[in-house]
Amino acid sequence: MRRLAWVVLWVVIAGLQSLASSAPQPLRPGEEVQTSDNPIGRYGGNLVVAQRSEPKTLNPVTAADAPSREVIGRLMADLIHINRASQQTEPALAKSWTVSHDGRVFTLKLRRGLRFSDGQPFNADDVVFSFRVYLDDKIHSPQRDLLIVGGKPIEVAKVDAYTVRFTLAQPYAAAERIFDSLAMMPRHLLEKPYQSGSFAQTWPVGVVPAEVAGLGPFRLKSYVAGQRIVLERNPYYWRADRSKNRLPYLDELTFIFVGNEDAQALRFQAGDTDIISRVSAENYALLMKDAAARGYELFDLGPALEYNFLLFNLNDLKPPTADKLKPQQVWFADARFRQAVSAAVDREAIVRLVYAGRGAPLWGNVSPSNRLWVDQSLPHPPRSLDRARDLLRSAGFSWRDGGQLVDAQGRPVEFSIITSSSNTQRSKMATIAQDDLSQLGMNVHVVPLEFRAVLDRVFETYDYEVAVMGLGGGDADPNPEMNVWLSSGSTHLWHLGEVKPATDWEAQLDQRMQRQMVELQYRRRKNLYAQAQEIIAQELPFVFLGTPDILVGAKKSVANFKPAVLEPSVLWNIDQLYFLPGAAGAMDGQR
Amino acid sequence: MPGPWKIRTALGVLLLLHLAILFAGFVAPYAPASQNRGLPFVPPMRLHFRDAQGHLRLRPSVCQPELNAGTFYEYSELCTTEYPVQFFVSGPEYKIAAVLSSHTHLFGVEIPAHIFLLGSDNYGRDLFSRILYGGQISLAAGLLATAISLSLGTLLGAVSGFYGKWIDESFMRFAELFVVLPWLYFLLAVRAFLPLNINPMRAFFLVVAVIGTIGWARPARLVRGIVLSAKTRKYVLASRGFGASDGYILRRHVLPHTYGVLLTQAALLVPQYVIAEVTLSFFGLGLSEPLPSWGNLLAALQQYNVLVSYWWMFAPALALVVFSFGYLLVADELQQRLQSASL
Amino acid sequence: MRFLARRLLHAGFLLAAVSVLCFLFTDLAPGSFFDGMKLNPQISPETVAALKAQYGVGKPLPLRYVLWVKSVFTGEWGFSFAYDSPVRELLLPRARNTLLLTGTATALAWLIAVPLGVWMAYRPGRWDDRLGMGATSLLLSVPELALVLALLCFAVRTHAFPVGGMTSANDEQLGLLARCQDLLTHMAIPAITLVLANLPLLVRHVRSSMIEVLDAPFIHAARGHGMAPARVLIGYALPAAANPLISLFGFSLGGLLGGSLLVEAVTGWPGLGPLLLEATMSRDLYIVVGAVMVSTFFMVGGNLIADALLIAFDPRVRTD
Repeated sequence: MRRLAWVVLWVVIAGLQSLASSAPQPLRPGEEVQTSDNPIGRYGGNLVVAQRSEPKTLNPVTAADAPSREVIGRLMADLIHINRASQQTEPALAKSWTVSHDGRVFTLKLRRGLRFSDGQPFNADDVVFSFRVYLDDKIHSPQRDLLIVGGKPIEVAKVDAYTVRFTLAQPYAAAERIFDSLAMMPRHLLEKPYQSGSFAQTWPVGVVPAEVAGLGPFRLKSYVAGQRIVLERNPYYWRADRSKNRLPYLDELTFIFVGNEDAQALRFQAGDTDIISRVSAENYALLMKDAAARGYELFDLGPALEYNFLLFNLNDLKPPTADKLKPQQVWFADARFRQAVSAAVDREAIVRLVYAGRGAPLWGNVSPSNRLWVDQSLPHPPRSLDRARDLLRSAGFSWRDGGQLVDAQGRPVEFSIITSSSNTQRSKMATIAQDDLSQLGMNVHVVPLEFRAVLDRVFETYDYEVAVMGLGGGDADPNPEMNVWLSSGSTHLWHLGEVKPATDWEAQLDQRMQRQMVELQYRRRKNLYAQAQEIIAQELPFVFLGTPDILVGAKKSVANFKPAVLEPSVLWNIDQLYFLPGAAGAMDGQR
Repeated sequence: MPGPWKIRTALGVLLLLHLAILFAGFVAPYAPASQNRGLPFVPPMRLHFRDAQGHLRLRPSVCQPELNAGTFYEYSELCTTEYPVQFFVSGPEYKIAAVLSSHTHLFGVEIPAHIFLLGSDNYGRDLFSRILYGGQISLAAGLLATAISLSLGTLLGAVSGFYGKWIDESFMRFAELFVVLPWLYFLLAVRAFLPLNINPMRAFFLVVAVIGTIGWARPARLVRGIVLSAKTRKYVLASRGFGASDGYILRRHVLPHTYGVLLTQAALLVPQYVIAEVTLSFFGLGLSEPLPSWGNLLAALQQYNVLVSYWWMFAPALALVVFSFGYLLVADELQQRLQSASL
Repeated sequence: MRFLARRLLHAGFLLAAVSVLCFLFTDLAPGSFFDGMKLNPQISPETVAALKAQYGVGKPLPLRYVLWVKSVFTGEWGFSFAYDSPVRELLLPRARNTLLLTGTATALAWLIAVPLGVWMAYRPGRWDDRLGMGATSLLLSVPELALVLALLCFAVRTHAFPVGGMTSANDEQLGLLARCQDLLTHMAIPAITLVLANLPLLVRHVRSSMIEVLDAPFIHAARGHGMAPARVLIGYALPAAANPLISLFGFSLGGLLGGSLLVEAVTGWPGLGPLLLEATMSRDLYIVVGAVMVSTFFMVGGNLIADALLIAFDPRVRTD
């Protein structure tokens, strides 16, 4: 009897140990693992990466800031995933799916036999629960609006234990992309807090690791306030390489919080971190000098998907702002004025001086690196002050003797450009634009304001003339951006709060955008979107300036490093990264 | 150098620098906002006193920088053509004391060459010119803020220390309140509420004045401490016995004790307020482009790569050090004179 | 004793006044926490408005103040929008880290400044005094930011010190002595910066006070009587010069929590600095109010101690 007790004890301890240890579990029969096609690696190592500010929460539903989402993305998995390298969707937790003829009903088949990081099984109940939380209009998740198509929330229905059906109110182009980054959450851990109404407070960043479970490659190990968060391998992760080794290769992943971009570069240079992303052009040049000596490599991935621009205030204003800005709004309303500004801006200087040559000039809202959607036929007129002057002349402007530009009523052209003081790159663009426009005789002030003050003016008070802003970069597909271009959109920055399109060309733009939103065929969609781009490039509600290159780096000892243009550029394939033999990474022996 | 020579040298150097800054338009070869986008971050140009044959010349000349192909901001000297430095040249127009205008500059070189004595910044603007023009604004701002701080501080500290009891209590509590509040928010609000088309210089000086007003607490506390102990001295009691009024006592017997501390504070606060500009620029409250001030010139150093690769951008800090040093020397000397006078 | 009680009462009033003004100030600056979401085309304005309502951002100021006071008494100290957690849990560990850094740096600065200032005052005008004055001028002129960046640069090049952070990532595995050593090497750069930034002012004030006192008749008399210079300096001159120094010491104490904001932010020291900076820029109001209140607490405490010391040390003040 006592012997049996000892054996039972032994088995229990061994079982607990295997649960506690993060060594990869052997593949089980019936588990439908996804095979990843990467070069085979080896187990081991702790990858260290720096973040500019610390994550605020680990709750996938309420997280809105980038560092939180970066960590959560490693702990969680989604149904359909956008492969960051190919920019196309691929199966993830859903192994396959069918779409109805009208494109409104998606039936997803889930992988069987999968388990969460705490060993509990995953099935359709978790999916239904997750979507119920995302769509809950009392929790106000920032992701809820993604799931509203055609004005109605997406409908989720469980078909059987491993099949879920999603119904959209209307067809939606690239509807599969909606599922990317929507984390599937464990019902067995989160249902109770949800029922009791305290969901928004669950999984704060200091949560006990045992209370967190996900389907991502890593699970939470420890958190030290203000310093670092450590993740360890998820022993039940559902992807394996071709030799049936369960991914990820890395034992641990550590995020350290460093405060700003310069500190990030400094730590990478000193060898404290193994990979770095979103390096600024100047720090890139600096890091290049030491690359060979310190054993790391840097990569320039080409232009990003974001676009920076000059925004003109074309809002409907109320007195007294209306009277104050009346002359400016009259000038800005004339497309020829905006085109003249665009002709005068020295984009080449912007790329050279602001991005140290590592960037691309922009004349439209789609970056040249977005090969699937960019309209190649758009003209890229070189800078020409003469053309600018002709445009101004045709719009009724003239020049006084001292070179000062005046409008048809004789008022001197004078306005201010507001910019966020914390964004040095946009401030520099403003300075260059100011100098360029002064050559046309315009008297321009650059007014750096604190970021939130800028937002307040652009979104609330509309008390500004011109602003330098940046948008985009989220996804290559046009649909997430629709709120910028549709007149009714919430980020239709130059004219917010429009009930119906204020100008003819905005109506045309609306029409193109709305049609491409529901057009399911790529070729026709591309055509429509190209027409939209032409309207934008012609009417120039934004005068586009440029976009930086995506600059990343990694230690040579990190293998399978395949950075991508879409965020998260360096962490998207974290489950495939491994350390080469003989290299131990930042954790060991660097001091 | 013992004795009066030290103070005379310091005064001389300070005077020279102040003159240079006052006549910035004359001494500087370029306007502060003129960009040369083809020449960003050019290192300081070397003055060559030897010509091509190796003979020594009185008139120095400069070679032009050439961008090394494939690099960004690495230059080498192209000495095929040497441009001699000319004096009293004609150049961009400027105003002295906002009244007289002139075209003559102290030195310059023939167009299309440039002379960057202290190198150029991110937009190819001559740093030497920007430091001179920036000095005008920075010194004015520093003096303004210091004057406000010290006058308010002395007034409140003296009254508080002299009259004691509840006046003292309330003033000192008020001072503590002042020091502790999150003034940054207030400043952000002030800046945000200013109209957009306000003259950027006026906006800047407004912010500086607010900072000066906020900074009265520390001088006040120091003055109060001194007044507290000074007013109990025997000769003060004697003066009272002779019927002296409060104002007389304050002026004649008590306040002189504070001069030493006030001088030290003044000489320290002026450079400190100039440096405070750097922090202001960090939060978007600094002087806006393209006007230079020493604070926003130094703000460029916040970027690590600039700090490490372009050492000449430190030059405004050097100017600041020279000024502080000069001011402090003068202040020390004055303090010593006052000490010996009051004995 | 009555004096102390009165002071405590005033301290209480001060804290209350600061809290009210703090609320007013943070309300003044334009923009609110959730405005950042407006720039994201994928979040609708209705969601932003709903979030604002949920966290009570739009409520009238007096109501928010009362709710905040209530949360102070329940131990929460307000609620952070970003972290979704009570402010107290966020502040305490970081305040501890800051005090560790600033306490060490302040103690070091005073320990160096007093002897140095006295030494310089004893020999005014000689080469070591002038060197000292020059060095302090130099240090005063260099912005703290440039100083800390230069030190970081030095650390990177020489591998002498770790570059940022408070502990190494693997510190759980180290023994106690190794952990202490780890902490010290990480503290070196920010502490040295703080010492270098605060030293010049202290040295100058010590020096100027001492110079004034050393000219006094009773010092000359003591010297004339043949007393050893060291005894004169330390036993007689220094206490007489202590008056402004004690006020300064009170300020040093009071500034323990607030003085290292920028240094912490740049070196990544996990103290109040980075938290407060980010909360300020993102308008996470209750963190700002909470941090300001804790700093005020220290400031008030520091002044109380300074006043007490002044009374204890300077008999001239007691006769008031």
